[in-house]
Amino acid sequence: MFRLQGSKVLAVDMTGDAVKAKNGSMVAYDGQMAFKKLSGGGEGIRGMVTRRVTGEQMTLMEVKGQGTCWFADRASEINLVNLQGDKLFVESSNLLATDSGLRTGTSFTGLRGASQGNGLFTTTIEGHGQAAIMSDGPAVVLRVSSQYPLTVDPGAYIAHQGNLRQSFQSGVTFRTFMGEGGGEAFQIRFEGDGVVYVQPSERNSIAGDV
Amino acid sequence: MTTYPGAGPVIHDPMTLPADDSVNAYTFCVELKGSEWFLQKGKMIAYYGSMEFNGIGHGRLDRLVRTSFHSPLHASDWVVASGSGKMLLADRAFDVNSYDLEEGNLTIRSGNLLAFQPTLALKQSIVPGFLTLIGTGKFVAASNGPVVFMEPPIRVDPQALVGWADCPSPCHHYDHGYMTGLMGGLRALTGLGGASGEEHQFEFVGAGTVLLQSSETLMAEQATGAVPHEPGVPGGGGVPGRPGQQAGSPRLPGQLGDLQRRFGL
Repeated sequence: MFRLQGSKVLAVDMTGDAVKAKNGSMVAYDGQMAFKKLSGGGEGIRGMVTRRVTGEQMTLMEVKGQGTCWFADRASEINLVNLQGDKLFVESSNLLATDSGLRTGTSFTGLRGASQGNGLFTTTIEGHGQAAIMSDGPAVVLRVSSQYPLTVDPGAYIAHQGNLRQSFQSGVTFRTFMGEGGGEAFQIRFEGDGVVYVQPSERNSIAGDV
Repeated sequence: MTTYPGAGPVIHDPMTLPADDSVNAYTFCVELKGSEWFLQKGKMIAYYGSMEFNGIGHGRLDRLVRTSFHSPLHASDWVVASGSGKMLLADRAFDVNSYDLEEGNLTIRSGNLLAFQPTLALKQSIVPGFLTLIGTGKFVAASNGPVVFMEPPIRVDPQALVGWADCPSPCHHYDHGYMTGLMGGLRALTGLGGASGEEHQFEFVGAGTVLLQSSETLMAEQATGAVPHEPGVPGGGGVPGRPGQQAGSPRLPGQLGDLQRRFGL
């Protein structure tokens, strides 16, 4: 059972079950806990190789036991996500913890990943359960529906969930090269049904400079 | 803080997002209905609807820029957002607040200003690194930590100063006793004997409001460029007897900056 204690600490109450969490993110626990490093995020040999090849690496640990365990990472804001059989796409650097019942994997993001400086691949989480994702400042959750498509700055994007199509928009014109660009040269447009998580901060990316 | 503590996060859509108001302490929502906003480059994080972002130099914006943008040094940092929809603004997870000006004037550190309505006119302040907004309208500013409002007379730490409204521009204040004499000089130079780090302040007098941030971490300084080389402009270097450029070589139009002068050509 995930719950937030304040906005920057995640408390997980466990009764013999397990969670997967970012390596080294445990700050405290009471009760009996066992920590085990999960090589390759518990995705097996194939997942391990995929992660190594795609550069979407994450080191996870499995925490199992009785009691409460607290997680935090560099005072980042933590956001809880409930998954009911749908798929969450999140950058591996923004993932803090998931229920151990959730499957993780990698997926190709194409140009979006390249524009936000995070590589061409992203992490997917699937199944039923809870996940905790991190953001720089509290994330704003925005709904996307058929009549309300959403456009997002690649540097502020952290995760999305649901049945969404993403397309990459480029506003690069000759003015960009003359230093008179609109400052928002790269954008990701989401269409379909789902929600998008954005953070009130932009990571450094090539998109921030043009 | 609508998101915490929660049974679940609040999910926003264009109907529930506020119009020209804060979503939370770090995110501001601007509603455009065929209208325009000036916006610092790269501060848009997401938008619904259809919008266009154009650099200040864009031809169609000429009239708008002529009436509300008077700072050529900052032109490359600003864009105009136009169209219709709702747009979210944020800056490095700093606190974001909106302020209303009514027939007023307010001077703000250039890096802290995120966006403003074109009903306001933006001008460069005589104090380097600061911008002045004049007129009636709304603007959005970021600060590291919440903003505190103070009334003059007051002396403030230069790093905590965000801006000021209505009162005259500040002057420097040095702690005389601490800075003078042999020991004072040594202390200032070496820090030995305990420099408190608070020997220098900005002093405000007159009627008005001073805005402070509750942290001494500055926003990344926006390049403010150089002030024009004109007599009477502080820092402009156009002082008689200390000419800003070498005598006998008047600055030609189209000259390559001041490179030649730097290399002694």
